[in-house]
Amino acid sequence: MQGFLGNRSVKRGLTVAAVVILVAFILLLARQNNYGPKAFAQWTIDGIRGGSIYGLVGLGFVVIFSVTGVINFAQGEFVMLGAMFCATFYALDVPLPPPLKLVVAIILTVIIVTLVGVIMERATIAPARARGAHIVTLIIITIGFTIAVRATALLIWGSRAKIVPAFTNLQQTDVIFRPFGLTLSAQSLWIWGTVALVLAALYYFFERTMMGKAFRACAINPRAAELMGINPGRMSLLSFSLAAAVGAVGGIVFGAATRPQYDMGLVFGLKGFVAAIMAGMVNPLGAVLGGLILGVAENVGTGVTGLYGYKDLIAIVILILILLFRPQGIIGGGERGVEQT
Amino acid sequence: MKKLAFATVTMIVLLGLLVSACGAPAPTEPTPAPADTPTTAPEATPIPEPVIGMTYKIGFAPSVTGGGSFLGEPERNVAEIILEALEEAGGVVGPDGVIHPVEIIMGDTESNPDVAASLARRYIDEDEVVALVMGSLTPISMAISAVAMEAEVPYVSMASSSVIVKSPDTGEVYYWVFKSPQGNFEVGQWQVERLNAMEDVTSVCYLYENTGYGGDCYNNSSGQLTEAGYENVFEGAFERTDTEFPQVPAIEAAGCDVVVIGAIPPGASNAHAAVRAALPDIPIIHGHGVCVQDFIDVGGEPIEGAELPCSAVIIAEDVPADDPQKEVFTDFKTAYEEYTGQPVSTFGGHAWDALSWVLEALESLDDGMTLDEQRVAVRDYIETNITNWPGTAGVFNINTEDHCGIDYTSFTWFKVEDQGFVPFPAEEW
Repeated sequence: MQGFLGNRSVKRGLTVAAVVILVAFILLLARQNNYGPKAFAQWTIDGIRGGSIYGLVGLGFVVIFSVTGVINFAQGEFVMLGAMFCATFYALDVPLPPPLKLVVAIILTVIIVTLVGVIMERATIAPARARGAHIVTLIIITIGFTIAVRATALLIWGSRAKIVPAFTNLQQTDVIFRPFGLTLSAQSLWIWGTVALVLAALYYFFERTMMGKAFRACAINPRAAELMGINPGRMSLLSFSLAAAVGAVGGIVFGAATRPQYDMGLVFGLKGFVAAIMAGMVNPLGAVLGGLILGVAENVGTGVTGLYGYKDLIAIVILILILLFRPQGIIGGGERGVEQT
Repeated sequence: MKKLAFATVTMIVLLGLLVSACGAPAPTEPTPAPADTPTTAPEATPIPEPVIGMTYKIGFAPSVTGGGSFLGEPERNVAEIILEALEEAGGVVGPDGVIHPVEIIMGDTESNPDVAASLARRYIDEDEVVALVMGSLTPISMAISAVAMEAEVPYVSMASSSVIVKSPDTGEVYYWVFKSPQGNFEVGQWQVERLNAMEDVTSVCYLYENTGYGGDCYNNSSGQLTEAGYENVFEGAFERTDTEFPQVPAIEAAGCDVVVIGAIPPGASNAHAAVRAALPDIPIIHGHGVCVQDFIDVGGEPIEGAELPCSAVIIAEDVPADDPQKEVFTDFKTAYEEYTGQPVSTFGGHAWDALSWVLEALESLDDGMTLDEQRVAVRDYIETNITNWPGTAGVFNINTEDHCGIDYTSFTWFKVEDQGFVPFPAEEW
């Protein structure tokens, strides 16, 4: 059996067959329910919106994992904190014109959530690692951190949803474009632009700055990097800060598209993790792409089958399939990756 | 120093895990401490000296945390308001002039049926309560109902479904169980009338939240609307925390004339906004889970034009003076808004009605009854004496066949206009 499935062309054949069956199934359902290309286009657009945030969260996973080997399950909470803090700061009664108020709120939020990331690393991860804790212990610590953050959020903000204004008109209700009869909110454009900006900024950081290069060195080979004089502890701190900042940015820009609640982080953490797995936990761009693919798959999958309660199932199935058949990831993963853990 | 820091942080993390593990799936808030029983009588009357009887205890527990906290928080606020008033008065006065202090024991069902059932057990066995007022959500109330029936303790639920008080299969009324909110069946009746008055409406799309309440909304709305001749072309559930709504393109493809949503905020607001963004003109109708200002505030401008049945307590000032509910509306709204600083909540009103019934029943008890006699007497009182009883949810007429006592005329039909609720009477349809 192992030999049969291990055969490359058999694997390829099976994959193609599976894809063909899936597409046929989707088309059949679409025909049955009258879903035209417009519905699919709408699902795809909406899926890319949520998928962008999955991608940013996945990016955070990859950033931390590649340097420290820790899978930070608290990643989703950074998104939640970003959205909630931004809503809180924007709602403060200060005599500033709304656009300026929003900018200040965003800056403050990113700073605070980055600080949360720093605290998380310094107070929980670093001391544990210093005492020789196993990687799995560190991962469990991040899970504990998630629970603590969520409970604290409930205490601080209560269970009601908050409001972050749409960036375009600074109202609660966004501007909506209707290209070809589809519904495209202006905030979606902001989200996509933000993702592109984050990717560009990270590219510049990793390629063009000394700190970024040191970071990449640490990601490729921590032992050698240490021998070269790069401080792994500082890199670990940097990775957590970066991941927190990226998560916060995602939370802010997405919070304006929906109504943030204290427990919205759990779902993003899970889906972002799947996105990161799709990239083998090592490729940042792959994680963003994985997130987009996951978002679209989810939306189209539940839309076309009508099984809305099973949305998370799609993410879990993808996760299991990848871990079973291709743990090094399907998008630009390396030979390193989750197998290391 | 590092050792100490690590030890401290580890302890905190462990404690955090422990606390949340001991609680329900959702993180728990510390439960409020039970109220103190007043030990002094109110202003001394010259002759004779007021006699203080035994303390009556009521077991009270809404869903303060968890998915039902949107309903549970206002209900707990109301219990605190009533408790304050009771403490000021020293308790309830029996028919023989004996003053009985009343203790409302505060708890939290955490929106979890198991927690609720064991809490009810504890109230009954350890705290020896006379009556239970618990359960903001239907599945929670079902769990408590089983406990109350078995222990023979009167129980007033603050959740809406009729299956709480009456078996859906046999139609048998549960002897010890009552409820104070209007049901989704009554909501459905109003929705049928509204659709009948609309032109060119033949098909309906249903969107509801994936909870007991949402499912009950869907069953009642679709059941009655389909019976009235409206075709059900689409039905889909969504989660409270959903941010994307793939149901919307499916609704567009189904081509229905009206969308009926059964949910509470913020899910209801998000779903409504998503549908409104894709279909700017389609009528969207809700149930009575969104009769709170928060529904409009969270949703914003897209919520304009939503139609829904509500208790008129939300516009208490505009209710005509000869309306039998005017007084209770005004008392409740004023007390609630003064205490919380927030707009009135119809969910809080359910707690107001429920606790008022129990307190009235307690007032009728003679001194010196045993606990079992008290429980039977309270149950009998609620079943026989809550007649033509104006409450926040309606004018109640409880009898042996009907342990809720209000029909769909207790609702007023509203429309959302200018970011507020405006009555939309049948003459204007």
